[in-house]
Amino acid sequence: MKWIGGCLVILGSTGFGYYMAQQWKLRLKCLEQLRQMIYFLKGEILYGHTALGPALERIGGRFKNTEGEKGLSALPLFFLAVAKGVQRQQGELFSDIWKKELKQLEDTPLKEEDISSLKGLGDHLGYLDLTMQERNLLLYLEQLDGQISYLRTHLKERTKLYTSLGIMGGLFLTVAML
Amino acid sequence: MEEMDQVIQVFPQKLRRMLQQAKTADFQAEELRLRAGQPFLMQARGREWFLMEDGRCWVDVGEMKAWRQPHCFYLATSEDIHNTLELMSRYSLYAFDRELRQGFLTIPGGHRIGVAGQAVLEGNQVKTLQNISFLNVRIARQIPGCASHILPWVYEKGRLCSLLIISPPGCGKTTLLRDLIRQVSNGWEYQNHLDQRPLVTVKGIAVGVVDERSELGACSYGIPQNDLGIRTDVLDGCPKAEGIMMLIRSMAPRVVAVDEIGSKEDLEAIRYGKNCGCKLMATVHGSSLEDIQKKPVLKEFVQEGVFERFIVLEAGGKPGTVKLISDGEGQCMKAWKGMRE
Repeated sequence: MKWIGGCLVILGSTGFGYYMAQQWKLRLKCLEQLRQMIYFLKGEILYGHTALGPALERIGGRFKNTEGEKGLSALPLFFLAVAKGVQRQQGELFSDIWKKELKQLEDTPLKEEDISSLKGLGDHLGYLDLTMQERNLLLYLEQLDGQISYLRTHLKERTKLYTSLGIMGGLFLTVAML
Repeated sequence: MEEMDQVIQVFPQKLRRMLQQAKTADFQAEELRLRAGQPFLMQARGREWFLMEDGRCWVDVGEMKAWRQPHCFYLATSEDIHNTLELMSRYSLYAFDRELRQGFLTIPGGHRIGVAGQAVLEGNQVKTLQNISFLNVRIARQIPGCASHILPWVYEKGRLCSLLIISPPGCGKTTLLRDLIRQVSNGWEYQNHLDQRPLVTVKGIAVGVVDERSELGACSYGIPQNDLGIRTDVLDGCPKAEGIMMLIRSMAPRVVAVDEIGSKEDLEAIRYGKNCGCKLMATVHGSSLEDIQKKPVLKEFVQEGVFERFIVLEAGGKPGTVKLISDGEGQCMKAWKGMRE
């Protein structure tokens, strides 16, 4: 019985370590996808002078079709939800719609800091002229780039660390309990 | 959707609630004005109305002696204007850069929002407007049939004459032009006004509309939301001078229609259209033909006989009320007394 329990503890903690490593990878993938979507948004705004509603709808729809199968549909769905909120014309401010829809990103691998900087983007999107839009988007892209390069640099060591910590932690607990 | 419902949709929640409570839709308003720190004002039924502070009703300015009791009225705030502007631009003020430089933007339904504030200059040109503190929402209405009574006067031997609608601001020249476009495009029937002969059917012809401010067609994604007739092509959001040339080259219209001409470039493009054999329907700000003749470039046009009919609208009457129609030489052909026939 003790041995079975020990095995389960090891399996559980190894699984947790593996899960943590996967979350790191997924967060990186999500941020890369977000960066690409923001580049598309920049293009729509700067070159097409497209209003935010149709621009977000177009980008969300495009990414939902291509990335949805890979399990990365949260961000495209977020863009689509904001576009829907804009088109509903309920008299809300854009920042409120953006903030409200951000809640659906809470169950994704994105961390609170990612969501908070995305919220900051929504606070200034749409208002003032094209130059301001460009600066706002470039500033956000710069932040994203920093975050992505940090995640990428530490990807190998972190995945190794999480998986080995999981196994080692499990072993340690089992030994301690036995 | 009713015009006022379309307009109310672009106000923020607080103002929207007030406008609905005050039953604004029942007034058939022509204008809503927001000025930072000043009462919310409505122009309807030929009078001015102020919104009460609690937003429950509109009161006639004359009756209330408003200037003596400003505390009773709802005073628009800078935040109201900022939020309204954000909603009116569909959260995308940058997409209306060109329109803002000209001091207006058009919302779905063809309603025009005039804006004023602090101009930002680049050289001698207005780059954009900032600190926008004044909004004038002009409600556009289609009045099908409002041009029916003037149609017999703008045709000669079954052929449309080039015409210019002269009107002070807010007297319905766009409404009248819209209905003229629709009827010229669809074709219409009339009884000759001289000898009461039986019904004559006038066939519709291809009309090209250069709708720089999206007020005539109120296009959404390029498709007109207002009825401009079955033979009408619309070039939406395009500067008039360029648009006239483009339409003539690409769509071969028999008639070109434009709203609010005035610049030298517009008039040159109209001359080009005339030389290509197109008929023209245009509007211009002014109170009479004499008034137009005082403007240097327009005077030249009148003398050249570019326009064969001048339609002068009545100031202060119902929108689209025609005062008189003159021929190309300025001779009065028909005058109306006050009301639309």
